[in-house]
Amino acid sequence: MHLGTLTLRYMLGKGEKRKFDEHEDGLEGKIMSPSDGPSKVSYTLQRQTIFNISLMKLYNHRPLTEPSLQKTVLINNMLRRIQEELKQEGSLRPVFTAAAAAAAASPAPDSLSDSYREAPPALSAPAPPPPPPPPPPALAGDLGSTTPLEVCLTPASLLEDHDDDTFCTSPAAPPAAPARPSAPAPPPEKDSFSSALDEIEELCPTSTSPGAAAAAPDSSRAGSGAPGVPRPDDPKLMDSLPGNFEITTSTGFLTDLTLDDILFADIDTSMYDFDPCTSASGTASKMAPVSADDLLKTLAPYSSQPVAPSQPFKMDLTELDHIMEVLVGS
Amino acid sequence: MSACSGRADIISTVEFNHTGELLATGDKGGRVVIFQREQESKNQVHRRGEYNVYSTFQSHEPEFDYLKSLEIEEKINKIRWLPQQNAAYFLLSTNDKTVKLWKVSERDKRPEGYNLKDEEGRLRDPATITTLRVPVLRPMDLMVEATPRRVFANAHTYHINSISVNSDYETYMSADDLRINLWNFEITNQSFNIVDIKPANMEELTEVITAAEFHPHHCNSFVYSSSKGTIRLCDMRASALCDRHSKFFEEPEDPSNRSFFSEIISSISDVKFSHSGRYIMTRDYLTVKVWDLNMENRPIETYQVHDYLRSKLCSLYENDCIFDKFECVWNGSDSVIMTGSYNNFFRMFDRNTKRDVTLEASRENSKPRAILKPRKVCVGGKRRKDEISVDSLDFSKKILHTAWHPSENIIAVAATNNLYIFQDKVN
Repeated sequence: MHLGTLTLRYMLGKGEKRKFDEHEDGLEGKIMSPSDGPSKVSYTLQRQTIFNISLMKLYNHRPLTEPSLQKTVLINNMLRRIQEELKQEGSLRPVFTAAAAAAAASPAPDSLSDSYREAPPALSAPAPPPPPPPPPPALAGDLGSTTPLEVCLTPASLLEDHDDDTFCTSPAAPPAAPARPSAPAPPPEKDSFSSALDEIEELCPTSTSPGAAAAAPDSSRAGSGAPGVPRPDDPKLMDSLPGNFEITTSTGFLTDLTLDDILFADIDTSMYDFDPCTSASGTASKMAPVSADDLLKTLAPYSSQPVAPSQPFKMDLTELDHIMEVLVGS
Repeated sequence: MSACSGRADIISTVEFNHTGELLATGDKGGRVVIFQREQESKNQVHRRGEYNVYSTFQSHEPEFDYLKSLEIEEKINKIRWLPQQNAAYFLLSTNDKTVKLWKVSERDKRPEGYNLKDEEGRLRDPATITTLRVPVLRPMDLMVEATPRRVFANAHTYHINSISVNSDYETYMSADDLRINLWNFEITNQSFNIVDIKPANMEELTEVITAAEFHPHHCNSFVYSSSKGTIRLCDMRASALCDRHSKFFEEPEDPSNRSFFSEIISSISDVKFSHSGRYIMTRDYLTVKVWDLNMENRPIETYQVHDYLRSKLCSLYENDCIFDKFECVWNGSDSVIMTGSYNNFFRMFDRNTKRDVTLEASRENSKPRAILKPRKVCVGGKRRKDEISVDSLDFSKKILHTAWHPSENIIAVAATNNLYIFQDKVN
């Protein structure tokens, strides 16, 4: 059972600033090569943070006047660049975000889900690659997905980890679940992640690709950039996680988004109200705890397989309903 | 040394005219205020001419674009003076969409002694007129009136960021994010498009025009800068549409300074020809660069305006300060350049001595006739008594617009909604 909508929620919901500052000073300035050991983690964290900030800037704007084209172009370039980087780094993407669309879950095999759930700690840090930049829900339809319902959602367990130190404490970035790739996880966790990954790969043997193996040590299995480029050698994975590839193309979310969409999209921005300067008391605490059961009931119509409740998500159910409405409505 | 004036609105542009006698400011509310320098009197030689308000008028009003359901701001983006050719003064002022030519003229005499009208202007009964007289001009209180002589509208889809008067004084150009148009002052209903960088598919747009200026002497040449840190010199004689540049100025990226924000901080916010026409100066987020027109591969001089911000780029990106557009100016002899910074600081760089100074424009720190004290930002380690630490800088106090008198050491600095005028102390 995947929860792409939660991803979306995190992505576009209220973000709080703060702990960001702690990381910020260490992350500012020179780029660290993604191949450096521990600094890579902070590099990917910074990248993810900047990515999220950029998205919020684009979609949070409620102008009475036309937004500055220069600013929009620079932010778009930033997003594209990060996306390109992620594409180059990552390959396999077991989980998608679909922020794009979000809607419902695709039928993920129970075993796959189980494996995700069983290894939450492993997945907390070097989480799977980040999803392609999630466009606002209103534009989901534009993204080429055949139906909004084919998007895969992130396993609850992954989202669960948001409550942990890393991402909850990294502000501005209520990162989309899958995006967790920028895991600020300490190296040891990579090992358990690798093993979790191995489990997954056992389930989908054909999906193993060089990227997957390399991905483990390479904690930023970024959005398998291939958002959209189906890997011919992992049909099983594709089956289990459809839609993902259909949603985005190799050029990323911007392909189906024209600047006019960005500038003039009629988006319901009530979800995006957020003041980056507000100090956060912790992202997690802002969400009302919701049991997995409740959540799954909502998502049930969209998934072909019931998912056993695993761990509670912190999610405001009414907001989830709202998202679903918006997404399905578009 | 300083004359300050408060105004309700944020100043959005400052410009001296060609003699330096007049100083125009435009603000966010669409108003233009013109200051005139007092004539120096022989009695008070030590008292340099001060600038007093000469004329105030509403140049632009807010408009509404019904098609897009968006407001068009009345904020004055740029003012450019025309050289004086008669008793009246002419200037161009523009907001995001419309350029206007204003005539500012004085009236200090009025005709008196009409035959058919009495002194109040009422018509006289012709039957009562027994003699004829010639009306004479008599002095009256000086009145300065501004009238819009031309309105150049509907030529820009995107926001106008620059206007520049050509050295032929017959044409001028207006530049928006994607296009540059050439106008004749006499013709308001059409303009020529001379640069168009709009891609066929807007999704492919990655670069916009940020500033443009005509060469001060060669009426066929102009430059425009981009959001990618490049400058293009174009020659209008080459073709009608100057999409191909004559020269392309770009500095290779310094790999040791690369960061996520490299592109954004390389975006040029202002480009200015030197008075001599031999150099161009560009301002990007952290530096000011001087380029020799004959050398395209790198600038000849680079000055760090506030390099201590390099480690704060992420926050500055988040709070949008990284998109602030600072302007830069040359002094009359092209030997000193000036630009603004945060915390109401502005910087001057002497190109010859390589010395630089940081000054502050604020009421608290300077009294009239006082000498400005150089400021210093402490970047780390022990902070000395007079220094300010980077973290205490006020990023809401930014000096984006400054102007330098064409021949004397008089500068105008706009600090949000206050205008400061500083003059060199002679004795």
